[in-house]
Amino acid sequence: MTAAQSVSASTDPASGDGKYVYCIIRNDRSREFGEIGIGSGARVYTVNHKDLAAVVSDTPIVIYDPTRENVLAHEFVNETVMREFTLIPMSFGTIFRSENDVQSLLNSTYQAFTDVLDKMKDKIEFGLKILWDRDKVVASLERDNDEIRRLKDEITRNAASSTYFARMQLGRLVEAAMEEASNRYVNDIHEQLKDVSVASRSNKVIGDRMILNAAFLVERKDERSFDEKVKAISLQYEDLLTFKYTGPWPPYNFVNIKLKLEKAT
Amino acid sequence: MGLLTNILLAPFLSPVWGTRWTLEQVDRVVRDELTDDTPVKEDLMALQMQLEMGEIDDDEYVRREAEIMKRLREVREWREKFGMSTSGGPVRIAESGEPE
Repeated sequence: MTAAQSVSASTDPASGDGKYVYCIIRNDRSREFGEIGIGSGARVYTVNHKDLAAVVSDTPIVIYDPTRENVLAHEFVNETVMREFTLIPMSFGTIFRSENDVQSLLNSTYQAFTDVLDKMKDKIEFGLKILWDRDKVVASLERDNDEIRRLKDEITRNAASSTYFARMQLGRLVEAAMEEASNRYVNDIHEQLKDVSVASRSNKVIGDRMILNAAFLVERKDERSFDEKVKAISLQYEDLLTFKYTGPWPPYNFVNIKLKLEKAT
Repeated sequence: MGLLTNILLAPFLSPVWGTRWTLEQVDRVVRDELTDDTPVKEDLMALQMQLEMGEIDDDEYVRREAEIMKRLREVREWREKFGMSTSGGPVRIAESGEPE
């Protein structure tokens, strides 16, 4: 897919010199990051203001759709920058009309950016999604929960005569036990990761198999311990849960600067 | 007109009033639905998850992603029609400057 296909139609050919902003870093000289930008490998460089720099690439004035291709390009730039710098990620698709507009962003938000960069110094984010296999969890509940086991045996023994209500009751018991189990797993995992992380945030779960969708803020120096801890936990739960572990990311979930931006017409 | 008038005239007033209320309600519900991209974004995340879990292949992903992008664009168009804010497109720092 080319960039032209993956952006929507509002191209304005008269002004092809917009700036796509990936992130803000602290650096007092200009820097090049290679031809890795959104839209088939645009040159990525910095727009500087005092000791702050916006990492940008040139772009036509378009609206970028959040396709996987575009989102990956955005993330790839941030990953590259992150190897050397602490960064404040911008949200996907943020475009300014000119270098001047980027500089006024840095100028007017200087203090907030500086504070957040100090706070986020040498910290990285990891994502942890945990999914369960319903059948396996139900099986383990039937093994370990006396009440469920007893009721189930009873229903199986008297298959013909067992009432609708007994089955209903079993269903309800299983549901409640599953919710309790989900909370128990999630609390245990949070507890175990507490010592190796600075903060955590739980996002809304996606789909019906997911029981945890969390982001953890970790000191760079603790990256290894965090890693090992996650591996140990996933071994501990290997029969029941699937772990989707990603990172390191820029601190997407822990930076919350509300920029007062308006449409540039 | 006070409450009493409403009660007194109820048989005449309420059908009209009731209908208008319903239309406004429907109008609002429709508008909320047309301009809310949350469910679309959730679908996109779910789709990504399916790909990551190997439940769908790349072709299937690309096909369904295209549908979702179309829905996102439709929401954006509706938001523009209703004069609501949209994400994407060129921005600049607002005059009032300081962030929250």
